[in-house]
Amino acid sequence: MNPRLLARTFGSEWAKLWSVRSTWWCLAAATVLTVLSALTLAGATAADITNGRRPAVPFEVSESVVSATIFVQFALTALAMLAVTSEYSSGLIRGTLQATPVRGRVLAAKALVLVPVMFVAGVLAGALAAVVNYAALSIDVFGGYATLTLGETLADLASSGVFYALIALLTIGLGAAMRSAAGTLTAVFMLVMGLPLTLAMSGSAAALEISMRMPMFAGLAFMRSTDNLTGGLIPYSALEGLAWLVGWAAAALVAGYVVLRRRDA
Amino acid sequence: MISLHGLSKRYGDKTVVSDLSLSIRPGAVTGFLGPNGAGKSTTMRMIVGLDRPSSGSVDIDGVPYSRLTEPLRKIGALLDARAVHPGRSGHAHLVALARSNGIPRRRVAEVLETVGLGAAARKRAGALSLGMSQRLGIAAALLGDPEVLMFDEPVNGLDTDGVRWVRGLMRGLADEGRTVFVSSHLMSEMQLTADHLVVIGKGRLIMDAPLAEVIARSSLTAVVARTPHADDLARRLSAAGMDVERLGENELVATGAAIERVGDIAHEAGIRLHELRTREASLEQAYQELTEGSVEFGAGVAA
Repeated sequence: MNPRLLARTFGSEWAKLWSVRSTWWCLAAATVLTVLSALTLAGATAADITNGRRPAVPFEVSESVVSATIFVQFALTALAMLAVTSEYSSGLIRGTLQATPVRGRVLAAKALVLVPVMFVAGVLAGALAAVVNYAALSIDVFGGYATLTLGETLADLASSGVFYALIALLTIGLGAAMRSAAGTLTAVFMLVMGLPLTLAMSGSAAALEISMRMPMFAGLAFMRSTDNLTGGLIPYSALEGLAWLVGWAAAALVAGYVVLRRRDA
Repeated sequence: MISLHGLSKRYGDKTVVSDLSLSIRPGAVTGFLGPNGAGKSTTMRMIVGLDRPSSGSVDIDGVPYSRLTEPLRKIGALLDARAVHPGRSGHAHLVALARSNGIPRRRVAEVLETVGLGAAARKRAGALSLGMSQRLGIAAALLGDPEVLMFDEPVNGLDTDGVRWVRGLMRGLADEGRTVFVSSHLMSEMQLTADHLVVIGKGRLIMDAPLAEVIARSSLTAVVARTPHADDLARRLSAAGMDVERLGENELVATGAAIERVGDIAHEAGIRLHELRTREASLEQAYQELTEGSVEFGAGVAA
């Protein structure tokens, strides 16, 4: 792929992303959602300690930022989804592919635009949430168990940023494959939440093992989440979690690429 | 120049475009006509690489569309004026397009000026009228200053001033030596704009000829003669292979030959003529005849 031409397509996609209001809405929604859901989750931890339902040991406020990814991912997924599906709903895809007939380059440019945007959005929203949490929960009423360690916090913020970037790649891959917003949203929701939860609750050990390798739990494993729907650490390494996430994103991108290449626009 | 080589498009067992081979030449406005569903839009989409031909190929000056590194600088196309993100301004839309092909940003202001969009370019594209959208689509086609331009129904939604403006624009582009390929269902408009016509029906080529020839060859283009010896003249013209119809006692209409031939035959027979004139068919009439499957022109008449 010619880097000069890819840079041009990137510039075009970058200009597209920032020239629609929905981008700003999604980012604002993701930020608000991060702060609120992290505060709720960390607040519950602090309250549990105060009420004696939880051992009175210090906890990292950024852990709640990681747990909040379960909710926040859908606001950012909407952003990634719209970057692809709005092209089909408006018919703009025809103009896009006339300007850039090498279709893989269009998908690559969208991915290259969304990865840094998702990462930075996740890190900044998470940083804001951590600071707000710390300010709200480190007060005496809660016994001062809420802590903010720089190294831990940075690691949590970075891993949540990477998680959002990979979920965005999964979404644009599925978006290119499905083309419609409704189809994409359903597919992403099923893959990220619907299926893994159904499998996890089915009671079958094999189904549980599979669900643990699906994007949401793989993400929680990668982010070393200790406080989540499974009630503890996912039983495999962060690196394996990352590998599963990358695998899912890559599979979705390949599916999207194949459909984009083959089908008439 | 756009060249189609045996271009076909099938969806399942339905053939939408069937074995089209033709060239659309520079320096002229080529009208692309055919009833709804004849395959015009599909053909145009295949030209710019959006739809993949089932067989055959298309190239622009010998290069397939997918091989063009800066396609907007080679061929500009308006396929669907509404195909713009409704929340993005026309200006931002053009900036994004320009970036993709390394077209300088100042060109955006130039084309917006050319199409007369001005302040409306800062509005959300979804808030534009169809006429304004049409102008934005034309601006996008002109963005790369391309040698080849293709417009699918460009005057849809335009008022009379807009229609006249598009006519002038296309004439100007062709006079600059560019290839202009334009589809329309408005025959009166085509008669004023086009130099050359490509007519398709049910995906097949019906006619590829200069506008003047299409009209001249219509059976409705005829020679009207008024003479006191109409019976005699009618017999002689029929003998020369023309179709003759009597209009009245002293008048007849002959089709199938030029006015000079009718005059010559009358002169040789010493028949006095009181009037001899050509009655031209309109493009509308000629077109109707063509698309009704008139055998007179057959299929695949080359220019």
